[in-house]
Amino acid sequence: MTLGLTFELAVFGSFIALLIVMGFLLYYFAVDYKRNLLGEVSSALPKKESNTVLSRMKRELSFSAFMMDDSKSIGIRYLITSLVLFFIAGLAGIGMRISLWFPVPSFLTPVQYNILLTAHGTLMLYGWATGSILGMAYYLLPSSVKLKNDSFGVVSSIMYWMFLVGSLFIIFSKSTATWYFYYPLVDQLTAIGGGQYSFATLIGVMLILIATTVSSVIFLRMIFFDRDPSIRLSNMSLFAWSVVSTAFLIIASAPVSIIANGFLIYDNINPIFFQAGNGSALGYAIMFWYWGHPLVYVAVIPAFGLIYEMLPRFTGTKIYSYKSGVLSLLMLMILSGTVWGHHLFNSGLGTVWDLIFSTTSFIVAVPSAISVFNWIATMWVGRVKLTVPMMFIINGIIDFIIGGVSGVMLADVGANQLIHGTYAVTSHFHFIFLGLTTGVAFAAIYVLFPTLSGGRNYNVPMAKVHFYLSTIGTIVMSGFWLVGGFAGMPRRVAGYFGIFQTYQDAAAVGGVILGIGFLIFLINFLYSAYKPVETNTSNILEEEVTS
Amino acid sequence: MNKATPIALFLVVLLAAGGSFVWFVEQPSSTSNYSATYNSTKEIVLYANAIGWNYNSSNPNPTLYEKTHVLLEFKVIEQDNLPHTLTVNPGTNESTSNDVFNVNIPAVTGTIVWLNWSFANPGTYTYWCEVHPTTMVGRLVINASSSNGTNASAVPTMQPQSPSLVSYSNSIYQPVSSRDANDEVW
Ligand code: HEM
Ligand code: HEM
Ligand SMILES: [Cu+2]
Repeated sequence: MTLGLTFELAVFGSFIALLIVMGFLLYYFAVDYKRNLLGEVSSALPKKESNTVLSRMKRELSFSAFMMDDSKSIGIRYLITSLVLFFIAGLAGIGMRISLWFPVPSFLTPVQYNILLTAHGTLMLYGWATGSILGMAYYLLPSSVKLKNDSFGVVSSIMYWMFLVGSLFIIFSKSTATWYFYYPLVDQLTAIGGGQYSFATLIGVMLILIATTVSSVIFLRMIFFDRDPSIRLSNMSLFAWSVVSTAFLIIASAPVSIIANGFLIYDNINPIFFQAGNGSALGYAIMFWYWGHPLVYVAVIPAFGLIYEMLPRFTGTKIYSYKSGVLSLLMLMILSGTVWGHHLFNSGLGTVWDLIFSTTSFIVAVPSAISVFNWIATMWVGRVKLTVPMMFIINGIIDFIIGGVSGVMLADVGANQLIHGTYAVTSHFHFIFLGLTTGVAFAAIYVLFPTLSGGRNYNVPMAKVHFYLSTIGTIVMSGFWLVGGFAGMPRRVAGYFGIFQTYQDAAAVGGVILGIGFLIFLINFLYSAYKPVETNTSNILEEEVTS
Repeated sequence: MNKATPIALFLVVLLAAGGSFVWFVEQPSSTSNYSATYNSTKEIVLYANAIGWNYNSSNPNPTLYEKTHVLLEFKVIEQDNLPHTLTVNPGTNESTSNDVFNVNIPAVTGTIVWLNWSFANPGTYTYWCEVHPTTMVGRLVINASSSNGTNASAVPTMQPQSPSLVSYSNSIYQPVSSRDANDEVW
């Protein structure tokens, strides 16, 4: 590693640090000033109570959220940030797709491809999936548990800034070590290794993980101690239950990854922890996937919760079975902590372990299926109103079934030897991430649109175009990946054998369609936000708390 | 909602996505990431020892004379359980800002790190260890290789498509005497 710590650098560094500290001081003065400006509602009250009042109000999208630290404002901060990160990572993904049009690396060199690959994977998972979930939880929990005491403003705010700085570290590091910090590549700080600043990605991910873990503790506190007495656990909203499940999962597994990343950073200075020399290179992989698999469930369980909340409103019935919904969410929490070994089938854990992890992976399909059948039953007994969010939900369920089934196929030890490291894996999780995580997040954004925009309706035809383009894009891209993957098309390469060109080109078309779809979302947002106020700001996800 | 918020948000998204993309694909211009084409190979053994790269000889940091377009296979053997790096940069001064490559040597005696590189440009380079910059530093003089001249077409030229490999291997269980023959070096 480059430890060129000269005197000038130290002086320069201290100067920057001083500026940051002063900036933060100014920031907190501004925050206080802003709070006083809110006048009637809040300035007369002590901060804690004014935050509670604020977090129960309906809130519009506004940059002043960055100056306030009640739960709803924090939620808006995360939603804005994660959306920006989604578009950054999405553009990187589309860039990769287009470059793969020709078998020989064309528009991107291998190093550039690997930078985009790492940035895409890391930002999508830690920035978009995790960030949007934190945002939804901060934004929706106060109304779904009728929060009676919003007391963690400062901590939440600091955690948000750590999240943001972490994302910036990831962007600036230009690491090429892939989203799971491929060892020992990640510690070779050269352009031909993990990238000169690949340790900065590690630091960034650590910051995000700390923010996520602390926020999870705050969510549990909100749900179990600060909810209104009128809400009993047995009738709490299923979204709140999904946050419980996610938060426990994060608290139980993220610290392991934080520690492992700390070891890796130390390895840059003195390589002693994860070395081929002492046989523990696999140790990092194990510690990573101990968190890595729960992470992918962290990205879907809150989406489950949002489906459980929105589905009944669009079918006009209650959810078919509340109890089995809770059961499924809690089972997902427990079981998805036990399957991480399925990412290491080919890494020499031993046949017995492989079979154990294969079995647990088959079992984890059960709670997922419980939820899916619950939704199908709800749609069956109710009358489906095909609004845009509902279309996203239905498509999310279908994509989840496709992705889930291919996941179970991947979990077969024998089959895994053939398709591990091919695009079949990439296809498996893009079906779920694009269809379920992203689709349902956008469904929720559409549902919240009247509230966030202060009483405007989104343009429905454009939203439908967004829906059709993004679903067709997903199915074309991931579908051809799946077929190509079973034919042996390797993933994570900047070029490929000519025989795979059909699949790659079709997938590139799918990727471009997807990109146009999300661009239309942006345009629709801009267009609709300037329409005259035409509706009231209520939505089905949050009720204004009046008690 | 504030009138400026939606358009500001829109612009932030476009600028962030576009700016990041440009940042991701922009290549550092100073150093090339690829080792040059080569038509022969040459193994160079170095010992990662705080006393010097060739620690038990009278000249612990010899000047190496090599040629361009030869794949130099640096075999670095960890000797003293201390952390080291093998860093190579152009010029006669130690510098990390424009290094050609820079690789960590794990602090486990017996670990061997291979690093393969072929130089495109003749010149004087410095090879050194960032942890021990005063005792582990030597010169690497690269001369133009004649076979790269007019009759280059006669020699089959290997085209490394990807960056050259850095591989670790562990020989900790090998008896020390069998690999410690220092005279195989130069
Ligand atoms: C039905 C339950 C599931 C099963 C049985 C399952 C099984 C698997 C298996 C066996 C692999 C390893 C493939 C390989 O590398 O050879 C895998 C990879 C992966 N799964 Fe799943 N999966 C399931 C659900 C999910 C869900 C809900 C997500 C979240 C979106 C997800 C995201 C991922 C990701 C991101 C990877 C690839 C990680 C990587 O190598 O980059 N999986 N899955
Ligand atoms: C906007 C649409 C998207 C496109 C066009 C896209 C495209 C791609 C491409 C081309 C790859 C690289 C495949 C390879 O070379 O192995 C990739 C990998 C990946 N994508 Fe996406 N993707 C999209 C959305 C998403 C979303 C929404 C998520 C997660 C929330 C996601 C998570 C990942 C991950 C984790 C990887 C693996 C990175 C790695 O192997 O290190 N992608 N995607
Ligand atoms: Cu997994």
